[in-house]
Amino acid sequence: MLRSKLKEVWICLKAGRVTLPYPLGPAPALPEGFRGKVEVDAEACIGCGACANACPSRLICIGDQGYRRTLDFHLERCTYCARCAEVCPEGAVFLTPEFELATGSREDLHIRVEVYMATCRRCGRCYRPASPLDHLMVTGMRDGEGK
Amino acid sequence: MSLSLPMAIVNVGLALLLSPLLEGIMRKLRARIHSRIGPPVLQPYYDLLKLLGKEDLRAADPWLGLAPILALASTLTASLLIPLGGEAPLGGAGDLLVFLYFVGISAVAVIFMGMLSWSPYGFLGSSREMMLYLTVEPVLFVALITAAVHARSLRLYDLVLWNHAMGPQISTVIAAIAFLVVLQAQLGRLPFDIAEAETEIMGGPSIEIGGPRLALFRWSVEAKLLVFTALFVEVFVPWPKTFQLLPDLGLTLGKVLLIVVIVAGIDAVNPRLRIDQALVFFFGVTMVSLAGLALALVGS
Amino acid sequence: MTIAELQAQLTERFGEDLTRMEERAPGKLSLTVQPKVVRALAAYLFTEIDCRYVVSAGLDRREGSQEFAVVHFFARDPERIAIDVNVFLDGGNPQVDSITPVVPAANWAEREFAELLGITPLGHPDPRKLVLADDWPTGMHPLRKDFPHDLRPEPVEGVAFEPKEPPPGATVVPIGPYFPVLKEPAYFRLFVEGEQVVGCDYRGFYVHRGIEKLGDSVLTYNQIPFLAERICGICGFVHSTCYCEATEEAAGIEVPPRARYIRTIMLELERIHSHLLWLGIAGHILGFDTILMQAWRIREPVMWLCEQISGSRKNYGMNLVGGVRRDIPPELHPKIEEVLARVEQEARAIVGVVAGDTPLVMRLKGVGPLSREDAIRLCVVGPTARGSGVDLDARRDHPCAAYREVPPKVIVREEGDALARTLVRLEELLESIALVRTALAQLPPGPLMATCDGAIRAGLEGSCFVEAPRGEDFHYVLTGEGNRPLRWRVRAPSYPNLQAIPTMIQGQMVADVPIALGSIDPCFSCTERLETVDVHTGAVLVYGQEELLRMTREGGRCR
Repeated sequence: MLRSKLKEVWICLKAGRVTLPYPLGPAPALPEGFRGKVEVDAEACIGCGACANACPSRLICIGDQGYRRTLDFHLERCTYCARCAEVCPEGAVFLTPEFELATGSREDLHIRVEVYMATCRRCGRCYRPASPLDHLMVTGMRDGEGK
Repeated sequence: MSLSLPMAIVNVGLALLLSPLLEGIMRKLRARIHSRIGPPVLQPYYDLLKLLGKEDLRAADPWLGLAPILALASTLTASLLIPLGGEAPLGGAGDLLVFLYFVGISAVAVIFMGMLSWSPYGFLGSSREMMLYLTVEPVLFVALITAAVHARSLRLYDLVLWNHAMGPQISTVIAAIAFLVVLQAQLGRLPFDIAEAETEIMGGPSIEIGGPRLALFRWSVEAKLLVFTALFVEVFVPWPKTFQLLPDLGLTLGKVLLIVVIVAGIDAVNPRLRIDQALVFFFGVTMVSLAGLALALVGS
Repeated sequence: MTIAELQAQLTERFGEDLTRMEERAPGKLSLTVQPKVVRALAAYLFTEIDCRYVVSAGLDRREGSQEFAVVHFFARDPERIAIDVNVFLDGGNPQVDSITPVVPAANWAEREFAELLGITPLGHPDPRKLVLADDWPTGMHPLRKDFPHDLRPEPVEGVAFEPKEPPPGATVVPIGPYFPVLKEPAYFRLFVEGEQVVGCDYRGFYVHRGIEKLGDSVLTYNQIPFLAERICGICGFVHSTCYCEATEEAAGIEVPPRARYIRTIMLELERIHSHLLWLGIAGHILGFDTILMQAWRIREPVMWLCEQISGSRKNYGMNLVGGVRRDIPPELHPKIEEVLARVEQEARAIVGVVAGDTPLVMRLKGVGPLSREDAIRLCVVGPTARGSGVDLDARRDHPCAAYREVPPKVIVREEGDALARTLVRLEELLESIALVRTALAQLPPGPLMATCDGAIRAGLEGSCFVEAPRGEDFHYVLTGEGNRPLRWRVRAPSYPNLQAIPTMIQGQMVADVPIALGSIDPCFSCTERLETVDVHTGAVLVYGQEELLRMTREGGRCR
């Protein structure tokens, strides 16, 4: 038994101190591909809603007001699974390495994206225009006469 | 009996003010074996200060509130009977027995604390404390009596002088070893922290104590660190001795530190034993210490 | 015996009461029987054919066929056969004969469908509430299809948990709901005489989260793996794999070989870190915090490795129905090997010292004994069963992922105490390291995801057994409309193992109960209450929160 105890002490002392003083010291380096906070590139978003469909926490809410589609990301519910990033056809949603997200107010973790869509003349629902030129006209970037 | 007031202040002062530092060193050493940084060495002081400042939730039972005060008071009184570097401040004829009685009062205070808590965990803790006390105190008694037999006196300082003059005898070595073995249990450290087992009975006797009274209880446990280890090194390892107060005090404290380090080391590499396993073990230790006493009685 | 032989024997025995029998998937026999023979059939399977009982599920199929159904799952491990026994019940007042009198292990599963679906098990010896809170109104059954998933009914006033009474002369020592040893709340009510346990009662399910309800009401097939991996705080990948493979079996999706191997590698990595975690917890329970710190220190590189592979330390999020989302690229292989080598060296050192550490062995030897007969009777699984001499391992008996190609060595010990279970886990740890190496070496090239044409049809059944670190995990999926299952039943390994606790702690000392409990590696999830028993009068009182606050301020003496 004594041998076991001495071996234990030896193993322990040989290992040294392995704890890091974080947060009083720097955070350890994160691996590439670490799944942290979700960010959205609002300019690239086309409002397709694939992310809302895929999210297991159902945190993405889509609302339409006329031709303005709003996507609300309630990231306090996020589980960092990266399904939204995986299914986004435009690469507009991606995960960053940011993990220090504790906050006292939920609004800090809300992202709102507004996308201007075309609306169907018959039913009034939003859709994404087929042509990039149409898209530019709808978003007001181009004059209606096609110039 | 000679009461030396300055020495009394030194004894009680050390027991009160140095013992949290010893506790802090033990925690740091434990952390080192755990491969972690651990709390600062002064942490026990901060803990005591914090607890003393908390709300004193008064229990309905007045005796429950008295128990931690009694535990600390009896330990501090026992510290007045320990020779530290010189004569003990309250030392006199028979002070060995008086010391054991005060230690007993401290144990009884802890037992009362558990019983009066009306919690099943408190009851379990108290019953374990009782069983441990009944098996560990006799060893303490026998070990000290072994030295007393040689010194022909029940005065602790006489034991110190005799041991210093005559050197180690077989019987005193056996007594010293027995004392060291039960020291782990007296100090409530693994593998014998059975009465306060956190993961089994949620702290045992101290379960209903909080705030300032918990501070006093913790302080009494820490004070015992100094009291028992100082007694051990003074009586059984009195070399070298310069017969001057300050150097001798320094030497004693140095030896106390060494013992504390050993206790911490044993504490860190052992699991907690079950009460019946501990009792069997201590029964064996009692037999060994009685053998030592027998040897002392025949002169070696 | 083969499936054909089994089918012949069942036909002979139960004749026309057996309305349907088919092999719905290789090795999976599905039967439908008349309600009146269900107990006899269960007795036949359990006692005469030596099948192991797995779990029961209640189903609300009233949208389709106006019926409730109950499925009892059994397994014949030596022949790798799984047997589902379906019984269809009246939609208005569903009742079924309880099989608990003949299969004791069915106790909890039947109480569960009684509470959650309102299907009454007739003749059940202990029909108390199991899962739902005591103030949940009677008559409201959450798993029924007409119960919205987010409905919160008003709590009922004046009800309390009815615990079992202690035998005469015994006092009550409560372990839980809050207790240092328990990482999640559970309530073990020990009846003790002095320091010896003479009986116990258990109240669990304190944080029942309604996961099965979420799975069959608001989530789609590919959202469920992410919920499944949060069923357990340590072995999430097991649950997501089990669910995915059950759905893949139902839908007839063939997972590409590379994905199967990746699943195996992640499962074994999970086993490695889970067993090291358990070793630390066992040490902590015994007061041996050094083992806690050191075992977790050794485990840390595995967590970093999993983060490198999957992006997260624990919730790998790698499984989807049809395959895996992330690859283990060749650049990572040397890193995996490096971590494995380090962990193996340190694990071997720890195993060596644990065996020679006398006080530690003293605390584990003879603690929480479970005889082989009891282990089989109570249908325990995992290291709890293997430590009692039952040769049972889902990786070998019902292989999923790539376990057919990478078969594990099954470690069995006979002693049946906590020490045996400890040694089984330590040896399994070393075996898992070898398995990861083998799987990595044999990793075939190819796609990670099966291509799926069209939606998954409704009405298909699939089940899967996966060996989690704690034992066998079982998922059953019945596909439904709207891209989600109609029913998803989960049976985690601690479910049968916890039911064996009263047997294991009978006659033991109070000090040994926490480590006996820890030795089955329980993984439960729970919530709060406080109860006192007046030892003198035997009166039982339940306190609400305001009362508790007032009492703590007033004094320690409880009424």
